[in-house]
Amino acid sequence: MIYDRNNLPEELLNLPASDFEALYQEDIKDEKFQTKPVGFFKDAAIRLTKSKVSIIAFIIIGIIIILAVVVPPLSPYGFNDQNISAKYLPPKMPIVEKLGIMDGTRVLKNRKVSGLSDTDRYPEGSIIEYFNVVTAKGQEMCDVRVDAYMLAGMPDGEYHWFGTDYLGRDLLTRLFKGARISLLIAFFSVLTNVFIGVVYGAISGYYGGKVDIILTHFAEVLDGMPYIVVTILFMILFGSGMVSIILALTITGWIGTSRLIRAQFYRFKGREYVLAARTLGVPDRTLIFRHILPNCVGPLITRAMIAIPGAIFSESFLAYLGLGIKPPNPSIGVLLSDGQSVLLQYPYQTVFPAILISVLMIAFNLFSNGLRDALDPTKRGEE
Amino acid sequence: MFKYILSRIGAMLLTLFLIMSLSFMVVRLMPMSLFENPETDPEIQRKLEDKYHLNDTIPVQYFYFMKDIITDLNFGISVKIRPGLDVFGILVSRLPPTILINFISLFISIPLGLIFGTIAALNRNTWIDHVISVLVIIFISVPSFIFGSVLQYTLTFALPIFPTLYDSQAVTFAQKMHSLCLPIVALSLNPTATITRYLRGELIENISSEYLLLARTKGLTKAQAIVRHAFRNSLIPISNTLIGMITGIMGGSLVIEKMFAIPGEGGLLVKSIFAGDHFLTVAVLIFYSAVSLVTILIVDLSYGIIDPRVRVGGGKA
Repeated sequence: MIYDRNNLPEELLNLPASDFEALYQEDIKDEKFQTKPVGFFKDAAIRLTKSKVSIIAFIIIGIIIILAVVVPPLSPYGFNDQNISAKYLPPKMPIVEKLGIMDGTRVLKNRKVSGLSDTDRYPEGSIIEYFNVVTAKGQEMCDVRVDAYMLAGMPDGEYHWFGTDYLGRDLLTRLFKGARISLLIAFFSVLTNVFIGVVYGAISGYYGGKVDIILTHFAEVLDGMPYIVVTILFMILFGSGMVSIILALTITGWIGTSRLIRAQFYRFKGREYVLAARTLGVPDRTLIFRHILPNCVGPLITRAMIAIPGAIFSESFLAYLGLGIKPPNPSIGVLLSDGQSVLLQYPYQTVFPAILISVLMIAFNLFSNGLRDALDPTKRGEE
Repeated sequence: MFKYILSRIGAMLLTLFLIMSLSFMVVRLMPMSLFENPETDPEIQRKLEDKYHLNDTIPVQYFYFMKDIITDLNFGISVKIRPGLDVFGILVSRLPPTILINFISLFISIPLGLIFGTIAALNRNTWIDHVISVLVIIFISVPSFIFGSVLQYTLTFALPIFPTLYDSQAVTFAQKMHSLCLPIVALSLNPTATITRYLRGELIENISSEYLLLARTKGLTKAQAIVRHAFRNSLIPISNTLIGMITGIMGGSLVIEKMFAIPGEGGLLVKSIFAGDHFLTVAVLIFYSAVSLVTILIVDLSYGIIDPRVRVGGGKA
């Protein structure tokens, strides 16, 4: 007999529970999850730590940052302590000096042999050896290896690990003070770029339509301006200094980020979950920042990391053009360009900043490559 | 296609206009008078200022600034570096060495990058690939001016093979090239590495793709398939990196020219910035902008040559 579902007779609606019997007695033996769920960032972290290169790069970056923080206050010399009698001292480092490098000696070329015994010019013990003796115009000439520290009358136990510059300033202190300033410029300019890029890209991508067309065209025109030209013009306009460097690096720097964010917003704003949230009356602000923006975090981090070495490069580039940080503050670029002008006479002044910036750039590039692979959702779970 | 070209050119002109406006701000809104000199007779000073419209309102000055550049390429006169000389003339006289090193660097690095990229991709995960990858990371990361310094110290001072600075007395082309060798090498390393990296990535992706398998199945040899299909497809994204490369080389040449004392635009720019000769600075910068904008335009339009899909689509429009 067929009952109407909406009009069941009274006796069928009030059947006692005891009349029923379970067909299967045993429990359902579904296993409980033994592992914790692996989220996107956890997965990325796992993959990042698996890449040895990224770890090493990260450690190097960490060491340089720590040195940049620790060295200037711990050093016995201030970054701007001038000592004219100690100018152009070659590097001298304890322990390493016994190996014959960085021992504070320098070769003076074409000196009169007869003048070597003059203790006014060459204090006792400052001459280590002389060689290449030639006779020219009746004068015996030679090359002398001297202890530059003794020659300059430095007290014993005075060590400038990386030497001194034309004002007798300690280059070790200056280098890490400079690294600190360069890194600060890089971090702040990237931070500003990301902030502007996110806001601009989010507005452009979320609202679409006319707003998007106008904003995109504006960015496109701005993007056509060669980065070097804009930066130089702004530096001239604002004068040198840390804030103006950061500003100058921001003028066109944010466009890449905004483009990325805009594309992500176009991808996600039509998704069902966003529509559902909107139907529930979630305001635009929350939709943008809470619901759509988190999808962009991965590429955003990668982009920011890649931009950091670029900013460090730009800073030193500007320093070469004479538009760097205001003296007496050092930056890696300022030290490099100062060193470049005396490269052939005092190569050590270029060597250390050059090594530092190279290592820093390579480490940042390797780390951001690792980060990009780790945050790439298409490679997820490959390991 | 025609519409597309027009819109590209329009955007380009707008950008150039923006740069010129910014340049105007730099030249005229700087807190200094161009001809301020206590010894100048006030009458002469007033006449000078009249001649260069310095006593007019800012909008009028702006109008004259733009008009002079657009109608007769008059960027003003040099005030500090070569006082009294026409800026445009100085600009043109410095052009040859800059063009030489920029173009040679570009034309060396593209084929070299393609060769190394192909070698790395074909020998994937062998020691050759690893060596190339390590070099690529180094050459991409380390700025060109560091290489400039290293080359200058090692190959001109420690081992004097090349002249330390640009030999301005050089007469023959060979002599010139001899003294331009190191700057060109220093400038080429980065773009070569960039192309190598991109091509390696693209080729590896294309070689393992299904259409390449199809090409092999239809009877092409491996070499044929790679050259005709994989290589060609890999070139499309690379032409995109070309813009960044060219502006990168131009930027690098600013510093490199200063380093090797090459009498080109870069050295001129640095000198004029140091001396505060803003007319000159602005002229060089506008020149650089024009070059890079034209480059972007050419690369954009040349997509059609490399990518047949764009060509077909372009025909319909």
